[in-house]
Amino acid sequence: MSVIEAINIHKVYNPDSDVPVHALRGIDLKIDEGEFTAIVGPSGSGKTTLLNIIGGLDRPSEGKIIIDNQDISTFKDNELIDFRQKNIGFVFQSYNLIPVLTARENIEFVMLLQKRTEQEREARVMELVTAVGLEDKIHKRPNQLSGGQQQRVAVARALASKPKFILADEPTANLDSASTTQLLDIMHQLNREEKITFIFSTHDQRVIDRAERVITIDDGKVVNDEIQN
Amino acid sequence: MLLKIAWRNIWRSKTRSIIVILSIAFGIWSVAFLLSFSNGMVNSYIERSINNELAHIQIHHPKFMDEPELGYHLGDVQDLMDQISKDSTIKSYARRTLVYGMISTAKGAQGIKISGISPEMESQVTSINNAMATGEYLSESGKNPVIIGQKLAKKLGAKERSKVVLTFQDIDGNITAGAFRVKGIFETYNALFDEGNVFVRRKDLNALLNDPVISHEIALKIHDLHQLDHVKSAMKNAAPNLSVQKYSEISPEVELYESQISIASIIIIGIVMLALIFGIINTMLMAVLERYKELGILMAIGMNKVKVFFMIVIETILLALIGAPIGIFIGWLSVRGFSETGINLSSFSEGLRAYGISELIYPELSTMLVGYLAIGIGITAILASVYPAMKAIRLDPVSAIRKL
Ligand SMILES: Nc1ncnc2c1ncn2[C@@H]1O[C@H](COP(=O)(O)OP(=O)(O)OP(=O)(O)O)[C@@H](O)[C@H]1O
Ligand SMILES: [Mg+2]
Repeated sequence: MSVIEAINIHKVYNPDSDVPVHALRGIDLKIDEGEFTAIVGPSGSGKTTLLNIIGGLDRPSEGKIIIDNQDISTFKDNELIDFRQKNIGFVFQSYNLIPVLTARENIEFVMLLQKRTEQEREARVMELVTAVGLEDKIHKRPNQLSGGQQQRVAVARALASKPKFILADEPTANLDSASTTQLLDIMHQLNREEKITFIFSTHDQRVIDRAERVITIDDGKVVNDEIQN
Repeated sequence: MLLKIAWRNIWRSKTRSIIVILSIAFGIWSVAFLLSFSNGMVNSYIERSINNELAHIQIHHPKFMDEPELGYHLGDVQDLMDQISKDSTIKSYARRTLVYGMISTAKGAQGIKISGISPEMESQVTSINNAMATGEYLSESGKNPVIIGQKLAKKLGAKERSKVVLTFQDIDGNITAGAFRVKGIFETYNALFDEGNVFVRRKDLNALLNDPVISHEIALKIHDLHQLDHVKSAMKNAAPNLSVQKYSEISPEVELYESQISIASIIIIGIVMLALIFGIINTMLMAVLERYKELGILMAIGMNKVKVFFMIVIETILLALIGAPIGIFIGWLSVRGFSETGINLSSFSEGLRAYGISELIYPELSTMLVGYLAIGIGITAILASVYPAMKAIRLDPVSAIRKL
């Protein structure tokens, strides 16, 4: 069963200006539950734009995004925020943790928004920090953590509320190779153990090699889509 | 949780937050001090009026206050006087015979209010005896002594020991006149009072009026102002046919002053609020723009606009919550500093005297004022946070996150 279905997605930035940018030109995609999928393509090909639209951060100029039989492109702003909170975990290239919150509080944040009980939160945080190997860092603020550690916190934060899928835009772009391997191991493990769907964009061949499915886009169109071993 | 984030956000740019907090504190301090000062001024006026004339409670014939005619006297009040003298909540009391008439000398004449008093009793209630500029206060010795105000004395060319004639109607409606000798000249803080009042012994006045019993006014001073209403109703019970009034009911300008001070307080608080609002908006706007990306992330991961909005509002209110008590505290300290020594205005004292205000002002920070300030600063913080908070929720998370 597909979790996400993108139908004929177009995105034009600055449509009314002298130089409209046609970032996506008719993307059709189906992503199934439990996939571990990489979106690859040269710089400027539209990866970030596609992920933002799938995640309900941005709206397509044309086409539909169907998630759980709902067309989220028709949602209002606040409905979208709510929808993201309940269904989607985001991991961004530059970690983007909340600087005034500790690692633990960053991870807890969405659960707090969802008014989960103290015990639930506690249990989930411990589970996740163990999974990402940061048990001893939970009281540190982001600026006291390395890039790799911050990105692992970001993955834990994205997973905290057990979303339907995780969208990660170049999650390893700022990491050294050891951290990259470690993060991918964690993501892969969570993908298998928690059955969480991962969709991530990347330039990095080592990351591409670990993906189970690789969707290549160029100039706003899908040019290749294959399952790897 | 919002509170926690807001609190930590405040301390991210310490210098900026401290500047805002201090400006709030300074604004509050200046208002508190200014208004405490004018409060002190009004209180000085009220206190003077109480001490020179009003006392705390007065008893009259019900019609006397509207038409102060000789005929509207208290009648036989022996029982009432007995009760008053036994009542331990009452500190002192004075019984007065009041007549409106004319004072004349060789140089001129002037309409005045003649108060017939018992010198000893009166000195326990009002403090004219302490306001003697020359000569002496009334006493039991001498024949027909009178004391008059400085301003009146100047106008009539009267000095100590001068002879003056008081003319008025007696109880039977006949014009009567008596020769009095100026025993002393008083000068209070109220020039109008000094011009329109003379004091004689009650027994001298009553003799001229042809009635040894009548009186028009009983003035009471009590030990504890909190008992004012209680004593008033006790007096009302004892003398159901007479009118019993508190000082504020007798002297409308006292009430007027009090209400004017409230209005002035609100206006001044309003002006300072306005200045603070712009300062706070500016700072919070900076705080929002600086955190554009972070706010985008919060919205991306599912914090809705209402929460983002309130986070900014709470941050602003927290700044006010820190600044306001500091301002009130410093205000209280500086008011307290002056409340012992007073603020000396003697260089303006000529002008002030015309308004019945003393030259030493003891500023007073009332709870009402602190209440106004607290409400004012609360409104300020909320108003000032709305625009930055709107700015925050209007941001587009996608472009916010793309910013690196
Ligand atoms: N806000 C915007 N306004 C105008 N043009 C934009 C905007 N965002 C992206 N673009 C353009 O849209 C196209 C696709 O951009 P996008 O960021 O999706 O590419 P990408 O594949 O993620 O690139 P990269 O690998 O460099 O991250 C690019 O040509 C980019 O310049
Ligand atoms: Mg990109």
